[in-house]
Formats: sequence, structure tokens, C-alpha cells
Amino acid sequence: MAPDIAQAVRRVTFALLAIAAVAVEIAAMDTRPVLHSVARAAVWIGIAAVMAGRMPIPAQPRQRPPGWVTLIVLALTLAPLAIEPLRRSYGSEGYPLELQMVMGLRNAGLAFAACSGWLLCLRLACVTSLFLMLFAAAMTNHPASFVLLGLYTAVGGVWLMLVYWSSLQRVFATPQYEVAIAVASDRLRLPSVSLIAILIVCASTVAVLALGPRHVGIWLGELLPTSGGTGEVDPWARYGVGDGPEEVAGDNAQAAGMVETDTMIEDNKNALIDAVSDMFGMPHKPPKHQEKMVAGGLTNVIQNHGELPENQRPSRDFDTSRQGRPPGRKPSSRLARGLFEVEGRTPLHIRQVVYTRYDANRQEWLEARKPTTSHLEAEDGDWMRLGHLREANWYAEDDRHRIKTAAMTTNLVPTPALLTRFRIKKVDRPQYYEWEYEGVVALAGRRKTPPGIVITTICRTLEPSRLAAEAFPSPGFNPHLEDVPPIIRNEIAPLAQLWAGDYPRGWPQIAAILHQLRTDYTLDPDIGTPADHPCPVLWFLMESRRGPDYLFASAATFLLRTLGYPTRLCLGYYVSPEAYDRETAHTPVRASDLHFWPEVQLRDGQWLVVEPTPGYETLAARQPLTERIVQFLRALAAWAYRNEVALTVVLGAICLTVLYRRQLWDRVLLWRWRLFPAASWQEQVRRAVRLLERRARWARRPRPVGLTVRAWLRHYSSVFEGCDRLARLVERASYAPRDVPPGVDSPQAVCAALLSCFTYNALRKFPPPPAPARAPQP
Amino acid sequence: MIATGLQRMTATDQLERLRQVLNAALRGKSQVMEYVLACLLARGHLLLEDLPGLGKTTLAKALATAVGGSFARVQCTPDLLPGDITGFSVFNQKTREFEFLRGPVFADVLLADEINRTTPRTQSALLEAMAERQVTVDNVRHQLTDTFFVIATQNPVEHHGTYPLPEAQLDRFAMKLSIGYPQRDDEIGMLGAAIGQRPEERQYPVVLQPGQLRELQQSVTRIAVEPNVRGYLVDLAGATRRHPQVTLGLSPRGLLTWQRVAQAWAFLTERDFVTPDDVQAVAEPVLGVRLGLVPEAGRSVISELLQSVPVPV
Repeated sequence: MAPDIAQAVRRVTFALLAIAAVAVEIAAMDTRPVLHSVARAAVWIGIAAVMAGRMPIPAQPRQRPPGWVTLIVLALTLAPLAIEPLRRSYGSEGYPLELQMVMGLRNAGLAFAACSGWLLCLRLACVTSLFLMLFAAAMTNHPASFVLLGLYTAVGGVWLMLVYWSSLQRVFATPQYEVAIAVASDRLRLPSVSLIAILIVCASTVAVLALGPRHVGIWLGELLPTSGGTGEVDPWARYGVGDGPEEVAGDNAQAAGMVETDTMIEDNKNALIDAVSDMFGMPHKPPKHQEKMVAGGLTNVIQNHGELPENQRPSRDFDTSRQGRPPGRKPSSRLARGLFEVEGRTPLHIRQVVYTRYDANRQEWLEARKPTTSHLEAEDGDWMRLGHLREANWYAEDDRHRIKTAAMTTNLVPTPALLTRFRIKKVDRPQYYEWEYEGVVALAGRRKTPPGIVITTICRTLEPSRLAAEAFPSPGFNPHLEDVPPIIRNEIAPLAQLWAGDYPRGWPQIAAILHQLRTDYTLDPDIGTPADHPCPVLWFLMESRRGPDYLFASAATFLLRTLGYPTRLCLGYYVSPEAYDRETAHTPVRASDLHFWPEVQLRDGQWLVVEPTPGYETLAARQPLTERIVQFLRALAAWAYRNEVALTVVLGAICLTVLYRRQLWDRVLLWRWRLFPAASWQEQVRRAVRLLERRARWARRPRPVGLTVRAWLRHYSSVFEGCDRLARLVERASYAPRDVPPGVDSPQAVCAALLSCFTYNALRKFPPPPAPARAPQP
Repeated sequence: MIATGLQRMTATDQLERLRQVLNAALRGKSQVMEYVLACLLARGHLLLEDLPGLGKTTLAKALATAVGGSFARVQCTPDLLPGDITGFSVFNQKTREFEFLRGPVFADVLLADEINRTTPRTQSALLEAMAERQVTVDNVRHQLTDTFFVIATQNPVEHHGTYPLPEAQLDRFAMKLSIGYPQRDDEIGMLGAAIGQRPEERQYPVVLQPGQLRELQQSVTRIAVEPNVRGYLVDLAGATRRHPQVTLGLSPRGLLTWQRVAQAWAFLTERDFVTPDDVQAVAEPVLGVRLGLVPEAGRSVISELLQSVPVPV
């Protein structure tokens, strides 16, 4: 390239970058004045222009740029990321992380343009400018961006023209333009680059370990606009428009939708009460001719002209006397559509209905009363905090879940137990919520929770076995929740004492009850209770010893209440780990996941989920990293102990392979050399020399760079027989015309003879050859 | 293109006899003799940088006699004129015409002793002769012999009253050598051989017949240089141009000379092709005469150059 044209190409390239830089700055925030954006871009362009003015022009443009060019590019690239915290702290604006990265790319492009004396930098600068311009054009439809796009096209045309001209003139630079820059002939590899890479990897690892993979995943998920920033971590993150966590994964189109765009559909299908009947069977119908006495007020009697008042309120009371699941039901009717999906650790218990009182006469669990006071407080970032919780020291690390609704049948907000705070974006005021039951939140004024919302929850976790006796309230703490009908108490109190009487109060007693139920009783979801039995729970405990989960839960509730633990019964959805979908990384919850379980109240007011039903588990405590590592190591040790023979063999094989890797690889290459000879004897000899050279490198006796093969082999001629013969052969193979004969009967034999003795182990015994000096005389 | 077996045998014999003659003339300097022969066969010119009395004239005389050519010696002094070397025209009163009297440059082997003592004007007179094997006197061009070979000497110690050879002229020499003092045994043998013999009576045998040297030189040009070796040469030349202690790298003409000398070295080794060993073997005398080095550069620059370029296999 002629010097004048080369200079012109460099200047036009810089102009392309300058235009692209302004366009990107405008596109980054097209709501502010254009001049403001231009001024911001001009600062960086000015810095790059000053650098370009002071940058030497290399005499050999096609060579790799020296290491300090990399440092300059890195410094300019990282500058926006370094400045951003200051902008956010001292200014009132900030860029989301993806825009910071684009700004870093813009600066990298400007740095490349400043160093465009090197052909590699010139090319990178052009590519970067094109990407930036396309990015700006895609990001905004601001009129200024169109003007810049046109300008860029025009300047790009000039650039193409100049480059074409320069290709016609193959002289790059004349001496008066050249600046001598010493560039080593061998490949430059900046140690600092490796160091920086290692530091970045270490810092990333530390960050991942410190924050936890889940937090890092959430944070990274907000990087790109298309993955749906939520503003949860970074308040400057942009909201997503594509496939981010705001979208609900569902089985059909109705189950998928975005929070901000989806119409909140209300319908009267698939109410919870229908699902309960479908799951557990219809209650036994009362006898047709049964007299019932209803205590009605005089006013009601008068107003209704002597007729009984109609109960307008949908009953959610649960009848424990049921017919059992209807036979011959088609599987399709059981597999309901996914109600919601859970992202996070499972199993989980999502409450829907809470029962606290049992009517022995009607054999019904009566729905708990609605709390009268709201205990929600708004926090930053749209979070709702449960304000009534007391502090306690028995909790482990908090756990985080995302629950994505699809086809909820109630207005309840599905949340796990031990909830401390939750968040539904835009629904950020306490008055938007109401307490349906204690610990069960609902959307106020709505019949159904709309599909497509994402509920982020943070709940406490605990390890029940580590709970002290003080964590449980004393008997009589809450008589309402320790009430057991006398007919039942008389029967099961001895049973409770028999099972748990010998255990200390607290979790050991509860665990003993649960253990008995889980081991001595059988889960049979299809079985019904006899219609004529006065108490289905007693029938389950004393006679059948098998039954559906509501009987397990009811029995556990009564047993625990008998022992003086405030206990309640919950109906809800069990989020089973077995339903986890690896593809979506979510666990779908269907109507068939309805489940009953008891909950024991702790001293701090929280409800501890206990699971008496075999096959169902509770969420384990979230362990800190150290415990998880120890647990993993223990499991690993146990596994190793179980497979000691196989492990020993495999480890031994691996160790031997690692130890003798060079010999093995050499053996493989040697056999390849023998079995698959090259087409010509010359190439076969050269391959043999390469084998020898590889051995020498492994033995840390490499042939010095400037040393000829002949001199190298001659160094070992007194040690290995055949070095001289091979040296002569190599000379003929490598440097003689192809029609020159090898000069020996069998080149293969000469090579093989030396290959057999010129081994890795033998080479290590001798000193390396000296650097080349003047060759010996003929 | 490759010498036939008979030709090779003849050439080998001739070269062996040449070696014998030269080694007998100058004892204990077999390696220097090899370089001299390589320079002669490559049709180059030789610059000997050495102290007086080390056998430069003896070497030149023996070489001139052995190759069957004529020998001329010029003692370069400041008052030496170009015409003293090239020759000049005189008016013959009998024939009434100008006659050209040939100078020493028309000999087959010319010894220009202490060439750096003569003026640049006279030195430059040698330029045309060395490069183009011709001289122009009074606008008349006179061809030199095909086997014209210049051995120039200069004293490395005395610099007063000298005119250092310009780079352009240095590049005309194929190599620079230093004979050096002989070993003790060689000097004893030399003394013994001189007993009973006057130096001017010393005779050297004629080895080559007229035209045979030219044939040998022609054979050298046919020695094969494969592309990988040519690439190696070019890489080395590039390395000389990039080395920080080299102010004047190898010119393309110098690169051609290096290849020719390497061919001659391969010929002396009785090989029909050049190897990187040949290139390295002649690197020091070839590069030593033409590389411009910074004042603080040591003699290790050429070794560094050789160590920096990978040898092709």
C-alpha cells in the first residue's frame, strides 16, 4: 500500500469508527438530546484521536502488533465498565450491563483504529465499526441514527475505494514514513495476558462460590435485553421482550404469556373444589330422610319466609368421609394442565386451603378463618415482606424460588412454606394482597390468579432434626390448634403415647409419630372410607392401616395435637422432584399434585411442614457451601469404598497412562510410522526425524532452533549407532532433488535402527546439544 | 545438471591436488584453504584481513600457479593511480598509434596488497573489474579473463593514512578471511622446508590445465539448491535486516553470493546439493565482509543470527 493511500485508509477507518461510536451512543439512550450523546462519544473519540496521533507506524504492517497494543485495547475496552459505578454513584443515570459491554466494544474499535498501522488492527477496526453500526440501527429508530447510517455508508464507500486502489499498489511504506519498531521474529505471547486471564477466571470462580450459582445465574440472565432483564439485581437492567423468566412455560398457548401484555382472563372453570372431588372422590351423600336442625336467627327466618337460607359462599370445608376415587377414570382426565411451574429446589408444599378445626359430627375439616390483619410490608425492588415474623435462630440459609402461574383456579398466590418475602413485579403494594389464611397470600379483589405472572419467593429453610425443644411451644400455647374431638382423643391418645411417649418433647416426638405412619401404614390413594364408620381417621388408624394422604395427614394432625403440638391441616400442591423437567429446568405442578399434609406451629409463629405420608418429603435445609462440600466428599468416599476394586483399577490405569503418556504416545506414533509409511522415502525419513525430535523435546533435549539436523545427530553419534547414516539420509531426503537416490539399500531400516535406540529415556541421560556455531569443515 | 561420475572423479582429483598444493604452500591452514577454494570456485573475490608476513603473497602465488593462470601483485600506496592497475595507452612512435599496455588486473590472480592504503579513486577502479570482469580505459572496454580472482589484503591494526573500503566495494568481495599465525609444529616444518632453498626459487606445481578451472566453476553453478534451503537463506537474510545490532543487512547481491559460496562448499564436500550445513559453514566469512554492525557489536552477531532462524527439515 502506498504511504499516502495507507494514511488515507487509516484516517477513513478512524472516521468509520467515529461515526459508529456516535451512533451507538445515540442508540444507547435515544431519549436524551442528540448533542448530549455526541458530546459523550466525542470524549472517547478524542482520546483515540490523540492516541492515533502518537502511534508509530510499523515498517512491517503485516506482522503481529506488539504486546503493548493489546494493553491499550484492553484498557480502553474496560474503561466504560470501570467508569460505570462512578456514573451511578455521582450521576443520575446508568447503563445496563449489556450496553456497558457494547461501549467497551466501541472503545476497543476506537483503539484498533488508533493502532491501524498494523493490518490486523485495521481489519478489526473495520469489523467492529460495522457491528456497532448494525447494533445502533437495530436498537433505535431515532432520525439521527438514520443520518449517521447514511454517512457511514458514504464513508464506507470511500474506504472500499481506497482499499481497492491500495491493492493495486503493492508498496506499503517508503522509508521516510517508517519508524523502526523492533518486533521479535518468534511469536509474541504476553505473559500479562495469561496473567489477566487467570485472574479473571479466579475472580469469577470466587464470585460464583461466594454468591452461589443460582444468584450468578440470575445476574447473568439480566445481561442481555433478549433474555429479559427484570431489574431484580440491576436496577438499570432492561426489561425483556423475548424468552426471559417472565414468560411462563406451559403446555399450551393459554398457559404462556407475558406479564405486561397478557390479558387477565377470568373464567369459572376448574375450581379448586372440583379438583378436590376429582382427586379424592365425592363425599358420601347424606341420607335422604335425615332431619337437620339449623340454628337460624329470627331475622333470617322472617326474611326468608320460613325457608332455610341458601349458602351462597362456596364451601371449602373438607369431608373426610369419602367414596374414594371414581373407578375407570381415564388418564387424560387425571393429567390436568400445568397449574404453575416452579423453578428452584424441590420438594415444596404450596398451600391452598388451611384447616384448623374438625367437626366430628359431620366428619369434616373446617376451613380456617381468614386473618383480620395484614402483615405485609413493601420493600425496595417490588418486594413484599411478611412483617409479623419473629426472629429465630434455628433457620438455615434462605431459599429462593420462582413460581410461574399458568392456570390457577383460585386467587391464591402460590408460595412455599416458611415464606419471608415475595415479589410479583408491578404488584408492589400491600393493599394488592390479602391473607386468605395464615401463611397463605391471595390477590385482593380477584377471583383467579392470572396466568403468566412470575412470583419470586424467598423462604426460610431449616433442618427439623436440629430444632431444640424450645422451638416448639408448650402444651396449651394455642388450645384452638390442639383441640381433638373427645371421641378421637380417647382412642388415639394411648396410641400417641405408645409411639412417642418415650421420646423427649420436640422434634424427636414428632419424628416418632411420622416414622410410625410412614413405615407402618400404606398409602392407597384409591381407597375410600366406609360410609357408616363414625370416624374415618380412627378407621384408618385402627382398622385399615391404609388410605389416601388426607387420612395420613388427619391422623398425624390428631396425634400431634394429642401430644400438645399446635397443628393444622393443609391442602395444597406437592411439587415433586420427580416431575422436574430438565429441558426447561422447571417443575410443573398439575391438578393431580393435590396433597394433604399437617403443619406444626413453631414458637416464632412459623408453620413447620411435616410429612406423614410415605413417598412424600419435605424441603431440606439449605446447606452452606462448606457442608455441601463435606457431604459431597463423604458421598464420594462412600462410593469409592463401595467400588474400591474398580476404582483402584481405573485410577491405576489413569496414573500409569499419565506417567507413561509420552512413551505410550510415542509408541502409537511409531507404529503409525511403521504401519502406514509415507508415499515417498523422503517423507518417511522426514517423519522419522520428526519422531526423534518429538522424543528429544519430551526429554527436554530439543534440537536448538538454528542447529541443523546433521549437527544435532552428530552430537549423539558417539552414543547412538546410526546417527551419521541417518544424518546423511536426512540430507538426501530433505535437501536433495527428488530424483536423487537415498544412497542406502533400505532407508526404512536406517531410520528404524536409530528409532529403536534413540529413545526418550536414553536421551535424558545425555546433555543437550550446544547452540549452533560455525559448522565443521568438510 | 549434476556432474557425471567421471566428471566428479576428475573434479575430485583436481580439487584434492589443489588442496595439496595450497596446504604445502601454507602449512596448517587447511580450513582457510577450503574457504579460499570455495571463494575461487564461486567466482568471488577474497579479502584477507591480516597482519603482514602471514603468507598472503605465497597463497596468491601458489593459487595462481596451481590453477594454471598468471599472477600479478599490486602494492597499494596512496600515490597508486587507477591506470597503474588497469593499464594505460601509450603512443608508439613507430606505428604512430596508441597502444594499450595491460595492467596487473589482466592477470588470472591479482593480489592487491594493503588495498586500504590506496585512494578511493584507485579502489573504485577495481570495482568494475571485480564486478563485471572488464575494465574501460580511454572509452575502450577490455575483457578480463574468465577466472579473474582478486585477493585483496588489509592490515587490521594500522589505520593511519588508510582509506577504509566503502560498503559498495566490500559487497564485491565474496568473503573475508583471516589467515592467522600458524601452529608451532607447522612453523617448525616451515623452517625445515626453507633450509637450503631461496624463497624466490620456490616453485609451485601446475594442477589445472587451461579451461579446467572454468569447468569447475561451471559445475559449481549446477549444484542444486532446493526450495526449502533457498527459503532458509532468505530467512537468514531477513534476520540480518532485523537484527538490532546490524546497521546494514544483507543485500540481494550478497544473498546471491552466499548461495554461490554455499554451492561451492557443497561441491567441495562432494555433494550435488546444498544443505543448511553448507549455508551455515560459509556464513561467517560471507557475512563478515558485508554486514554493517554497530560499534559495540561483538563477533557473536552472526552466531546469534544462525541461532535465531529455524533450520528446515
